[in-house]
Amino acid sequence: MMAIASAPRGCVKLFAAAVLFMPLGLLAQAPESAPPADVVIKNATVMTVTHGTIEHGSVWLHNGKIAGVGTSVDAPSSAVVVDAAGKYVTPGIIDPHSHSALGDDVNEATSPVTPSMMMIDAFDNSDKALYQALAGGVTTELLLHGSANMIGGQAVVIKNKFGFSRDAMLFPNAPRSIKFASGENPKRVYGRRNELPSTRMGNFEVMRQAFEDAKAYMATWDAYNAKVAKGDKDAVPPKKDLKLEALADVLRGKLYVQIHCYRADEFLTEEAIAKEYGYKIRGFHHALEMYKVGDKIAPTGTGIATFADWWGFKDEAWDAIPWNAVMSMREGVTVALKSDSNDYVRRLNQEAGKMIHYGGATEEEALRMITLNAAWIIGVDDRVGSLDTGKDGDVVIWNTDPLSTYARVEKVYIDGDLFFDSSLAGLGTTHFHGVMHQAGFGGADDEEDEGDGQ
Amino acid sequence: MSAARLIAGLLLSCAPLAANCAAQVGPNTTALAPAKTIAIVGGKLLTVTHGTIDNGVVVMSGGKIIAVGPAGSTKVPGDAQVFDAKGMTVYPGLFDAETHLGLTEVASDQNSNDLAEPSDEIMPHMHVVDAFHAESVRIPVARLNGITNAIVAPASQDSIAGQDAVIQLYGRDRDSMLLGRDVALAMNFEGSVRRKANYDGPSKFPTTRMGLASQIRQVFLDAQAYEAEMQAAAKPDHKGPEHKRDLKLEALLPYLKGEKPVVLGAYESYEVEVAMGIAKEFHLKVILNHVTHAQDILDEIASYHVPVIVGPIYDAPSPDERYDAVYSLPAELQKRGVKIAFSSLGGSGDVRNLPYAAGYAVAYGLPYDEALKAITLNPAEMFGMGDSLGSLDIGKTANVVVASGDPLDVRSSVKQVFIDGAAVPMVSRQTQLRDEYMPLTQKKN
Repeated sequence: MMAIASAPRGCVKLFAAAVLFMPLGLLAQAPESAPPADVVIKNATVMTVTHGTIEHGSVWLHNGKIAGVGTSVDAPSSAVVVDAAGKYVTPGIIDPHSHSALGDDVNEATSPVTPSMMMIDAFDNSDKALYQALAGGVTTELLLHGSANMIGGQAVVIKNKFGFSRDAMLFPNAPRSIKFASGENPKRVYGRRNELPSTRMGNFEVMRQAFEDAKAYMATWDAYNAKVAKGDKDAVPPKKDLKLEALADVLRGKLYVQIHCYRADEFLTEEAIAKEYGYKIRGFHHALEMYKVGDKIAPTGTGIATFADWWGFKDEAWDAIPWNAVMSMREGVTVALKSDSNDYVRRLNQEAGKMIHYGGATEEEALRMITLNAAWIIGVDDRVGSLDTGKDGDVVIWNTDPLSTYARVEKVYIDGDLFFDSSLAGLGTTHFHGVMHQAGFGGADDEEDEGDGQ
Repeated sequence: MSAARLIAGLLLSCAPLAANCAAQVGPNTTALAPAKTIAIVGGKLLTVTHGTIDNGVVVMSGGKIIAVGPAGSTKVPGDAQVFDAKGMTVYPGLFDAETHLGLTEVASDQNSNDLAEPSDEIMPHMHVVDAFHAESVRIPVARLNGITNAIVAPASQDSIAGQDAVIQLYGRDRDSMLLGRDVALAMNFEGSVRRKANYDGPSKFPTTRMGLASQIRQVFLDAQAYEAEMQAAAKPDHKGPEHKRDLKLEALLPYLKGEKPVVLGAYESYEVEVAMGIAKEFHLKVILNHVTHAQDILDEIASYHVPVIVGPIYDAPSPDERYDAVYSLPAELQKRGVKIAFSSLGGSGDVRNLPYAAGYAVAYGLPYDEALKAITLNPAEMFGMGDSLGSLDIGKTANVVVASGDPLDVRSSVKQVFIDGAAVPMVSRQTQLRDEYMPLTQKKN
């Protein structure tokens, strides 16, 4: 049973768990045997996301990619056939905002500007949150720095290949994302220590100053490079500074900028700063007030990763309404849903289902918010997020319509390989045979303090 | 957050049924028009007590259900206002077995929180009714999704946190919404209640589970001794000073006499067993709460013959448990004959999502009818209100919900809520914000 000392429970916040690491976690490194070259899932209700729903449809996976989707597919006779009669098939669910599997290291909250913190350095691939998400159909996650800092660290994108090594779980060649934050969290974390920032105007000045420092840094390198180009053999290179280098990469457009931001006025300020310093914002995260200014944000091309109906946990979430996602979508904004929690990540399909109730989204629009649009936020929509030929074989089989409360995941394929099968005894994992860890950060909600467990 | 705007909104958006849109006062108002008769016609009735009626009629008058049955054989009174529920599902108002409604507004703002009095572990004399903010914005938000009744409980930071109240989610003020005060004792036996030393401060008793248990036993003994003193002082021949009331100990007496239930929260197997041991020692009438990590003693829990508020169903399984260890718990308890109820509390829980917790349990083995009962009749019965709430039955309070489909499915929309036989305005601060900004979604290209 419980081999570990019990965690405190029942806190009012009910968000954090104690830090419980199993120091001798054993991990399966590589698959025991290679997956079959061809898999055909047939006879299912196939929800493609991009081109409608196919009744009695088939999906053919070949060498890890989707090779065919339709009422019939041209797979070889050697293919492993999975009869999914009565079942539903969707692309793997994608979570564009998670702090799972990062131990209690979600926030380097010792300075409001820490852009060179690399979340991959905290990634723990045997965390139970990944397993529980896999069992909920999640195949790709963006693991982000927390929201204590105005300019936080750089994210890691993973495929939920639970049981594989850390390296094997990294999403190959995913764009680099960096996490910014605004609003109550940074000013609370630093304000209570009497440090800058302790107000929203302090928040934004910290950002501007960081970019000014970056520009000065870039100028010293530009000057050096110019000298070298002219053949100056005595030119001395400036010191390489990881923090300023990362900020410079933002200004050079090398990083997708993901900003934790709730309020209507702050979207406008963030876009103005981005314009002033010449970078683009990929997504506003939380964005609970986007319904108020979506028409103004849509032309900037910035999307959102938001909650279905969570609200009221702090002042900047007070005006949140469950129609936000659908209204923002109709105002022209690309809308994804997210978990920001080890709990929600297991049932994003239901969060999407709520969109039908709140604002009359179609099933396809709702499903898109947890697949293709989420992939777009991360920048991997060319490879995952829909059932299209050529995309990665990340596919989920459900016992019924995934948008209903009654949906259960039966099988999860990632890159054409089966990683989860609920009919198996034990955990249901096919590649994980070790002992799971439990991170100190419950990854619950947005209350991201210094990762001190509360 | 303007109250004036909210009231104005209500006046402008009277429920379409109210024939004379009577002046309404306050954000949670009852229609001040005289009670009239309303018939909900043509819907699929989920009665809870006597099955599903496919084309049914529910008649409400004077705040009560006066008729329920198939359309063919149930008379609709001539003066009844008819609500057309064709194609819709009609069911009893939902009952949330544990909430903090009215005790918190903005979670991060301590000024708006009256969740628990943590200065001591034993606080039975904290009456939530003394903190219940009937005007909370959260109440209309919750009732729009069909939750008509709830237990209001303190948070679980204390071993004995206070006394619960039961409310209906509609009424012009606290007194109108309150159906019962001090209906149950909120008790918790779980690790988080222990006091832990700060790095630089001394610990204060209790810091361990045995400390918690001993503290609870001692205060129960003190209460029993207090009662004996009280009785002695009441005797006509008593000599000596007047008996001085001790509000804390006095608050425990009805529970020590088994007159009212104790909601006893524990998560782990051993916590459940220790807590039940104390309960048996003092003959408490128990409603167990949580038990989300007590999967290995389910038969024993069934043998206690106490009802269980199970969950939160979203509590994460431990690292050595299968992913559905908690999802399947309601089904495992129910099939052992345990009477279960759900509450919306837990994690990012919200009262309006109560039905989906029940639906999730159905996905993992709980029969549908039992799930619906666990958010209607079961909690009503657990808290002594089974005669007036929790099913579509003649004589019960007319708390009725009409929805576009299955109440447990996230895709369904609630169309109209009736409380005390009156149509509730389907308005909240959130619908007002929605309506204010909706024009932005209708772009002309």
